[in-house]
Amino acid sequence: MKTKKQKRQGDFQKIQLKVGKKKPKADNATNVNFRSKAIHLPEQLKHADSGPTTHRQLDIKDLLSKLHHINSNIKQGALVGLRELLSAQPTLIELHASAVLSEVAALFTDKDGSVRAAAVRLLRFIAQCISAERVAPFFPLLSAHLTCAMTHISEAIQEDALRVLDVLLEHYPGLLSQRHTVLLTNFLELISQKRKAGTGQDKSGKGGFALTISTNRSVTAQQWRLTVLLRLGSFLQAVVEERPLEEGVTSMIGLGMWAGEKGSVTSVDVSWEEHVFGKGRIQVFENSGAVPTPHSTYRLRPDSKAVAGMNKELCSAETVQGFAGTLVPLMLEIWVEAAGGDRVQTDSGHLLSAEAMALMFQILTILQLLRRLTPQRDQQDILDAWFRNSYLTDFKHHFMKNFPYGLLEVARHRKKADGKRIRQQQVATGTVAGGNVEPLALNVTLCQVMVTLSLRGQDHVEAEDADWLGTIRVFIRETLSNGGKLSSKHLAALLEVVWRMIVTQRSRVVTDDLLQAVYVQYQQRNLAVSVRTLLLHFFSQLYIQEHQNHPHIARSRILARWLASLPVQLVQLCSRNPQLSAQLLETIHPAAARGNKDLLQSLQKNACSIYDPQEGSVVVLPVESQKRLVQILHFLPTFPAELLACLSQVCNTGRVSASLATMLIRTIHLRSPLSGWSSSSQDVPVKDVDYLSFFFTTLTGFSSEMLQALQDTDEDGLMPSSTLSPLSVFTTTLEQFLHHWDVVEEVCHCLDTLGSRAQCFDVIQNAIIKNLCGLVVVPDCVCAAILRCVPRLLDVNFLPSDTLLHFLSDCCLSMLSLLLQLEQSARKRDAVWEACFAAMSTVPRLLRLVLQSLHVGDLCEEELPVLAQILSLLLQHTQLRNHMMANASLLQHIIQDLTHFYGGETREQWLTDLLYCYSVTLSGHRANMGMRDIY
Amino acid sequence: MSAPVEVVLSADSAGQLFNCAVFDPHSGSEFLSYRGGNTSSRSLTVLNGEYILGAQLGKNFINVWEIQRKDQLQQKIVCPGIVTCLCASPDGLYVLAGIAEAIYLWEMSTGNLLAILSRHYQDVSCIRFTDDSSHFVSGGKDNLALIWNLSSVVQLDSSRTPEPCHILSRHSLPITDIHCGLMGPQARVATASLDQTVKVWEVSSGEMLLSVLFDVGIMSVTFDPCEYFLFCGGSDGNIFQVSLCSTSLSRDKTFQTDSDGNQVFKGHRNLVTCLSVSMDGTLLLSGSNDETVRMWDVQSKQCIWSINHKGHVTNAVIIPAPANMFLADSHPAVPLPRFSRHLNPSEQGDGTGSGGMCLRLGASTQVTSETSLKVLERCDDKCGSVLCQSVFGDGENTKVRVSELEEEVKTLKKINKDLYEFSTQLLTKPN
Repeated sequence: MKTKKQKRQGDFQKIQLKVGKKKPKADNATNVNFRSKAIHLPEQLKHADSGPTTHRQLDIKDLLSKLHHINSNIKQGALVGLRELLSAQPTLIELHASAVLSEVAALFTDKDGSVRAAAVRLLRFIAQCISAERVAPFFPLLSAHLTCAMTHISEAIQEDALRVLDVLLEHYPGLLSQRHTVLLTNFLELISQKRKAGTGQDKSGKGGFALTISTNRSVTAQQWRLTVLLRLGSFLQAVVEERPLEEGVTSMIGLGMWAGEKGSVTSVDVSWEEHVFGKGRIQVFENSGAVPTPHSTYRLRPDSKAVAGMNKELCSAETVQGFAGTLVPLMLEIWVEAAGGDRVQTDSGHLLSAEAMALMFQILTILQLLRRLTPQRDQQDILDAWFRNSYLTDFKHHFMKNFPYGLLEVARHRKKADGKRIRQQQVATGTVAGGNVEPLALNVTLCQVMVTLSLRGQDHVEAEDADWLGTIRVFIRETLSNGGKLSSKHLAALLEVVWRMIVTQRSRVVTDDLLQAVYVQYQQRNLAVSVRTLLLHFFSQLYIQEHQNHPHIARSRILARWLASLPVQLVQLCSRNPQLSAQLLETIHPAAARGNKDLLQSLQKNACSIYDPQEGSVVVLPVESQKRLVQILHFLPTFPAELLACLSQVCNTGRVSASLATMLIRTIHLRSPLSGWSSSSQDVPVKDVDYLSFFFTTLTGFSSEMLQALQDTDEDGLMPSSTLSPLSVFTTTLEQFLHHWDVVEEVCHCLDTLGSRAQCFDVIQNAIIKNLCGLVVVPDCVCAAILRCVPRLLDVNFLPSDTLLHFLSDCCLSMLSLLLQLEQSARKRDAVWEACFAAMSTVPRLLRLVLQSLHVGDLCEEELPVLAQILSLLLQHTQLRNHMMANASLLQHIIQDLTHFYGGETREQWLTDLLYCYSVTLSGHRANMGMRDIY
Repeated sequence: MSAPVEVVLSADSAGQLFNCAVFDPHSGSEFLSYRGGNTSSRSLTVLNGEYILGAQLGKNFINVWEIQRKDQLQQKIVCPGIVTCLCASPDGLYVLAGIAEAIYLWEMSTGNLLAILSRHYQDVSCIRFTDDSSHFVSGGKDNLALIWNLSSVVQLDSSRTPEPCHILSRHSLPITDIHCGLMGPQARVATASLDQTVKVWEVSSGEMLLSVLFDVGIMSVTFDPCEYFLFCGGSDGNIFQVSLCSTSLSRDKTFQTDSDGNQVFKGHRNLVTCLSVSMDGTLLLSGSNDETVRMWDVQSKQCIWSINHKGHVTNAVIIPAPANMFLADSHPAVPLPRFSRHLNPSEQGDGTGSGGMCLRLGASTQVTSETSLKVLERCDDKCGSVLCQSVFGDGENTKVRVSELEEEVKTLKKINKDLYEFSTQLLTKPN
């Protein structure tokens, strides 16, 4: 029993625990003496054949799964790996876009900064590879994460969210701008917080925001605001630019600025074309008859109702007003802080630090963009008026107080010890603001913003605005006329301001003052082409668009002087810059059409140099400009003889196309009172004498000096004169011949339509006899021209003089033998034949003369075949047949002589042909009796 | 002989035989001729079917004949300058004259000069009204064509100078001729220019619909009434016919002769200065500087007859025959007033002479209600509903409805009459 009891005690022996003694270890205690190490697998061992991998043999699935890892280092590593993988295998991006994008987007709000940075870097890389259309389905997700990050409680995440925004703005501005409803409030919240409802301070209406100042950011509050405003600016820019373009409203920054001033007439017809032609058949008239074009501005009464359907797109004035109502007060606060916080002294209030300047510049840019958010013109006007009513006093007070701002020379004022800090600061600002802002840019933008607030043409308002507009005017004048060179961007902005001020202020003094300044800039030498173009465009648009509506612009001396200088510039410019010349012409043409006296005078003075046949603009410029120059001729007040001489040469030198030359000839014709078109004007632009001499010179194509020079040369192209070709013919190139042929055609046509044909022919006959008949060497094109024009102009009742006829018969024979002897192109041959035959059939005496001049006895052996060919050609021509018949005896005589003189034994082909032709021609009439006589 | 439906009216610059003459469009035989002076180009117009107005070539007056008294010049209207073109509105209420750069607008009932529009920079070469007299188009030697709304021009509003509703500025050389199609403000207008193009525009929007480029300057242009064809008279004497229902896809066509309607009428030897198509679209009249007027058959493009004139043909037009023309003893319903030469009648001194009173719309009281579109829409609705009723409604209902409507018309007529009486009373009240 006892043992049993003892045994039991032994089993359950109680261990006495004592204070101070160490507690014995329990039997079942785990020994934790061992040490463990993690097995780190940065790369897989297997050579997976499932797909491409990184250098650590991780494929995309592994990497994506690692993004959910708790450890930030692994996450970052995975992001880096993803970038590596995707850059090596760009096709993977397309395949896994949804997974990659959603995972990356989730990391925008990661706690760890390095992970976020890596995520942004990866996003940037992906954005480069995928087009906007392909991202569009995932964009709601991306933007949701972006919003999440922007509104995150942690400020570091907010800062990085802006980097994400940068990437998206850079690559997908269109997609981002669709999300403006959410993003705009986010922007506001980044720099401010909602005022509590109870404070009663919010006088700015709904949703009064107050600027926030947080002390624990890595940057100062100002810098932070600058970064946010920068993003807001570029975001608004994206919204403005990505909006589907409306008709007649261009949102180009530089040159489109004047388009908005155009008024109600928009002559753009592209979309109309799309409407109609998109449906296949042309039905232009059927459609527009039943349904007026959508651009029809014809209203019996203008719509008084507002535009139906207040869509939530950011383009109605109301929505913009709503947003601006909260944003503008905030920006004003920022401005005040930037301006006042920096310098306290009033005397140097206009000097700003670089940072403040960047901030102010950003504020002004945003204000500008806000105005441009509304595309429609009427909406824009509403918005302008609203801005004026709500903020003019504020703007005037804050912006204009120290208006021409300058850059504060920071380094001079600070101590050396501070230098390092400043440099750091500058680096920080530089990286954030993307470069410093020039004071000029700031001032110009300020002018732009302020000038939009000035109202059009109401006298009482004008006086009100006079003070601050005056300051702006002085600034602009000085900037433009101090001789410095401006970049085209600044200049464009300045010109926009000038334009607006000229139009709104309606005063001649202001106009001349400003235009003078612009003109000084314009007159500078060595301007860059873009700047020059800009200035030119400014003046020409000012003249063309606003001229009629604003008498003060029309009367401006500067504009008149500028217009008068245009022809001189055109001459000086020559062919150096065809685009610029074209632009000059674009102004000269309408101004000439409008009969601007200054321009026309100057044009008249320089006409001879512009239309110079050697190096005048009309020959050196491209075809389009040439055409304009020819059209401008139509408006020239008078055509003195020298100018007509120039023009005649221009027509013939071949440096303008034949069609243009005919246009030129027609213009001269129409301007002459002889044409009977130009009505009752008293002054005669083209004198009749000059007119006729112009046409004769153009007809011959060679001036008398050239013909004279030709008499003495002995070139290869010359065919010596012989019995068969009484004149020695100078063969011109085919090109020149055809060109001249076209010109002759037009000249004949014009001369043909003159009132009295007999007199006209008399004049031409005299001119030919006087100028051409004595010549020994005659160019072939002149021969052809004379042969062509004489039958066309000859009146039935008029007897041409013998001298002329003899000359014509010489021409005719020479040309015919020339054609048969030399290889000529088909077109030239046809033209000459046609002319010869026409001449001979209209003037029967000419044919007789030609036949009479064929003295077979004087010919040498080689010329006989040519003569025979000529004769057979004449015989074959049906129109000539009757006339040949009339000269049958002469013909018979020639042929008899020909057979007689030809001593060859065998009958050559040409003789057979001739005899055959002869028999066929005469067979009907004389029943072969001539043939018997021959044999 | 029954009176013809249409007549040809033509004039030349010499004026030896007659100033202007009326011919039969089918035979070319002369009906009447009006003597005295000659008429300048595009300035012969028939006012209200009762008067013929023609501007003297190179002088500053307008010759006026009563249409039935062919031998006697009724009046000479002296103008401030040489009249370059002249046009009377189809409703006979207004006369427009281009005098140098300005357009003068007279009201026919009083002879008052209502407006001087000087928006052209150079001489006005042509003015045309739309068929409902609501708009007019003016073309000038400054390459511009302007579309004006007549009511806005007439508005009495001294503070604002009238503006054209559209400026057509796509031509690059002077405009030579304008033709307005039918359908009032929804019409198409064709402009011809020396820049070798003819452009077709829409009056309502000022949009260019078509531009046809030729290889000669175009001196005259016209549509047929259906606007199937565009006829363009070239400066080389050819008349080009452009088919407007071809299926070409490009907006800018180059003219070429082909089989589907683009064809040429050949016969004239000099500028074709006037073109006109008859009501039924089968006859084309052309006048040229070669001193002939020719009538063509549009279908076969043959010349039917030609009449020689003694000078350049300045005007040739086919017009519906005015009723008074062949009734020698008829009288114009309205006597022609004296045309005032100054804008403000009070300055003239004898403004009280006529005793008439001038009613003009002020700017604010313009009594126009709806856009033409809406009117059209509503008409369309009405037609639709009427159609529905007449087709689907039962007879009994319709009868009741008709009687109701008749009642309505009666009351409206009564109200109208009362209103008229009241207002005449008010207007004719002494003092």
